[in-house]
Amino acid sequence: MNETPSFPPQGSGSPVLSRRTAVKGACATLGLAAFGAAISPLTKLTEDISAEEFLQQHYQELSAKDKQKVFARLEAETKEEYGAEVTIRDDRPIPGTKFVYAINLSLCNGNGKCVEACHRENNHNRQTNESYIRILEMPIGTMDMGKGNITYSHAVPAEGKFYLPVQCQQCDNPPCVHACPVQATWKEDDGIVVVDYNWCIGCRYCEAACPYHARRFNWQKPEVPADEINPDQSYLSNRIRPQGVVEKCTYCLHRTRRGRLPACLEACPTGARVFGNILDPESEIRWLFENKRVLILKEHLGTEPSFFYFFDE
Amino acid sequence: MVMSTADRVSWRLCMLMGLLPVLMIVTVGMRRAHEEREDAQSVGPTLAELKAVGRSADPVEEIRRAKQTRRFPVEIRRPTGPPVIELTEPDPLGRMGRVACTTCHSVRPPNLSNQQPSDLDEFHAGMPFEHGRLVCYSCHNPGNADTLRLADGRAVEYPQVMTLCGQCHGPQARDYRRYSHGGVNGYWDLTRGGRVRANCIDCHDPHVPRFPKMIPTFKPKERFLVTTRDDHTPGLRFGGGTGHE
Amino acid sequence: MDGTPSGSSQTTGLLGYFGFLRKSLWLVTDGSLLYYAWMTALTAIALVGAHAWAVQVTHGMITTNMTDSVSWGLYIANFTFCVGLAAGGVMMVIPAYLYHDEEMHHVVIFGEAVAIAAIVMSTLFVVVDLGRPDRFWHLIPFIGRFNWPISMLTWDVIVLNGYLVINLHIVGYLLYMQYLGRRPNPLWYVPFVYLSILWAISIHTVTAFLYCGLGGRPFWNTALLAPRFLASAFVSGPAFIIIVMRLVRVLGGYTASPKPVRLLIQIIRVSMSINLLMLASELFTIFYTGGEHAAAGQYLFFGSHGHYGLVPWIWTSVALNLVGTALFFLPAALERGNVRIAACVLCIVGIWIEKGMGLIIPGFIPSTLHQIVEYTPSLTEWKVSAGTFAFGLLVLTVTVKLITNVLTGKLHEGVPLTKPEAVETA
Repeated sequence: MNETPSFPPQGSGSPVLSRRTAVKGACATLGLAAFGAAISPLTKLTEDISAEEFLQQHYQELSAKDKQKVFARLEAETKEEYGAEVTIRDDRPIPGTKFVYAINLSLCNGNGKCVEACHRENNHNRQTNESYIRILEMPIGTMDMGKGNITYSHAVPAEGKFYLPVQCQQCDNPPCVHACPVQATWKEDDGIVVVDYNWCIGCRYCEAACPYHARRFNWQKPEVPADEINPDQSYLSNRIRPQGVVEKCTYCLHRTRRGRLPACLEACPTGARVFGNILDPESEIRWLFENKRVLILKEHLGTEPSFFYFFDE
Repeated sequence: MVMSTADRVSWRLCMLMGLLPVLMIVTVGMRRAHEEREDAQSVGPTLAELKAVGRSADPVEEIRRAKQTRRFPVEIRRPTGPPVIELTEPDPLGRMGRVACTTCHSVRPPNLSNQQPSDLDEFHAGMPFEHGRLVCYSCHNPGNADTLRLADGRAVEYPQVMTLCGQCHGPQARDYRRYSHGGVNGYWDLTRGGRVRANCIDCHDPHVPRFPKMIPTFKPKERFLVTTRDDHTPGLRFGGGTGHE
Repeated sequence: MDGTPSGSSQTTGLLGYFGFLRKSLWLVTDGSLLYYAWMTALTAIALVGAHAWAVQVTHGMITTNMTDSVSWGLYIANFTFCVGLAAGGVMMVIPAYLYHDEEMHHVVIFGEAVAIAAIVMSTLFVVVDLGRPDRFWHLIPFIGRFNWPISMLTWDVIVLNGYLVINLHIVGYLLYMQYLGRRPNPLWYVPFVYLSILWAISIHTVTAFLYCGLGGRPFWNTALLAPRFLASAFVSGPAFIIIVMRLVRVLGGYTASPKPVRLLIQIIRVSMSINLLMLASELFTIFYTGGEHAAAGQYLFFGSHGHYGLVPWIWTSVALNLVGTALFFLPAALERGNVRIAACVLCIVGIWIEKGMGLIIPGFIPSTLHQIVEYTPSLTEWKVSAGTFAFGLLVLTVTVKLITNVLTGKLHEGVPLTKPEAVETA
């Protein structure tokens, strides 16, 4: 090993800083500057996300006072970003309720008014016509969804077809709740599986886990004109969701937890949808269970949905 | 093994650094447990809140209480009476008024041999009619044209038309009574609000009762989902089919 | 910068460690023109990827081609592949420590270096796939909400980070001891090595469990997924290490014994055969039974309902794997030459396709509503992926250069660094 002057190698010029070191330092600075420039679009994000939002705790950790502050902040942000005055409430489950939904497949004609009602009620992105409901046009004689089609737009009902609307089944054994690494989604006492949109990290594992195509991801920031925004909102359901988080049908808990029917049911012109509290022995949904043959989708998966289907004949 | 001073120092430093996260976790964990105990009712209304509004936290009690509470009404939309035409101009004799079924059908006796609109040669001749094997006087009352009649001849007022429908369509009537047939708006919880329900004839024209076809006007845009072979109309498409930015 | 005068006595403890770090930093920023070109190119690609990711985070993941039907794409595909690369290092550790293969013992550190770079890449691929990376802290136990043990993702976070820490410790400790010229204390690394053997199996098993536990995805819901992952990991990992060893010999000036790589090739032969057998088993189970369960397999291998997007991918993968395996079985593969390198490249690409477009994507097609929504990565996804791979290669180059220089004695306590022209380091 030939012994040149010690580390760092000394050039013929300055005794302290060699040319090599200077070049290395310059390149390092250049590299850092280039990195800064490369990720500069992120500065826009720091404007959009406030410190309070960044530090906000999980919904279940918030005290009543915390919630008031959070809701006020969200309402102010909605006003600023969307130009609409909204009210965000904290709708909690009614004690003694467990919500169950059922659809009469003999009556559903696939008109899609429920799809549209969901779109409006839940302040979905107008750019994509998003909705929590998808309707499959199925050939009569099979329950194989592979033979179904969701893009039909002809007059309904078509000859030889029946129609199968699918939305979140609010499973009693929900794979999505098990999958979430941060507990951003959980099942509440009245059976509704909810998402804390300010806790979700957007990993989409729940979307991979759901067997019913019930979960949606905000691939972009939703666009809703101010005059079309439904101002009657709830923290866990139809407030306008931020970009990068997962959302899902909540059985319109901002309506159902105040005793009202979900928007999709009210919009259905054929009356194919039935909703109620299964714990009430005199509810309509209970009668249905005792008098109709109900079936569930993908029963073999053991998800135990709170969503049922039945035929009249 | 003999450790040099430096090794001992490094070892102690490592132990310290290792203890730090443990300490952190223990502290934070304890703090959280304490917070949880204090804030145990953060999910759902507290007992005090419920009692303040007169509701029990006990589900069974809740339901029993709900049954005792006044229920809001369920309104069923109904026709107010037989179809009536309000005259907008005076008739040749200068009279204003309205034309009801009995205006004409009280003047001459009913002809029970007329069974289909195609049998008629004056009024109602072109009316579409597709209701199985029924004839006009299966439902219409020859004795009083402003009412309808059941199979045993009893008259039924127009506002009670659903009784007539239900006479033959028993399963649908039963389903309707139990809310698995027919549109509803309002509240599932009748202790908080009422309902408005559609009448049979809101959706089913008694002369052509088949539910009309509809066009699905609202479709979500499915990115990269190309229309399949079953659909004969061009599907809605957005976004490219390949990887473009 | 004050330097340690040549020939002085040891400065130990933390001061000595900082000296080691300083010398290392100097060393990794020093090299031939080829080295500078390589590092600059990797940096440039990494910057392109970083920018594309920044745009993705700001404008939303609409810049990717993922949809609600195919909600995981190239990022998670690459994540899966990189975890496999990381697990492959264990195939050097087992012979070295359990079977006391002395020659393997000398080079096992390169396997651990690959593991470190691979884990870094895996973690980065998960981070770039997050819709809200600003909420990353939600994952930290006790500070956020960590849904352990129910969520398999939390297990993955634990095993991946743990594996990174274990390997960083082992490599760091052994390198530093060799740098100091001291015998490493077995207590400080051998238990971790044994732990890393179990842990390496666990990282890829847990990653497989992420997928195979989901009942709603029948293509993934097979007990064979974890064993298949391990079998292919024990091909791609060692294959990658063989290429690294070749570069170390040709460019890094460190020639190891030929026996370790020969052993690796024999391990690859067995592993790949098992992998192919498992593939045959999957094909039989899918197509003999048929029915709805076969929908994804049908789409993947033969196309379905007029959609053929993945068919060229999977058959290319099968061909690459078969040819690569054949090459590995040639006697020429056991000799130093190009047969083994070609075989490695073929198998790495074949397994990359197999795990990515051949496993992750078909898990989503048909969708859970049984509709066919196809997927091809967008330009953003390619850029971000390239950037992440480039960054991983940067990490690997730095680590391997340090290791090589320590092993050749050029990076040593008390030994001044020589001018780069006198050294053949790349």
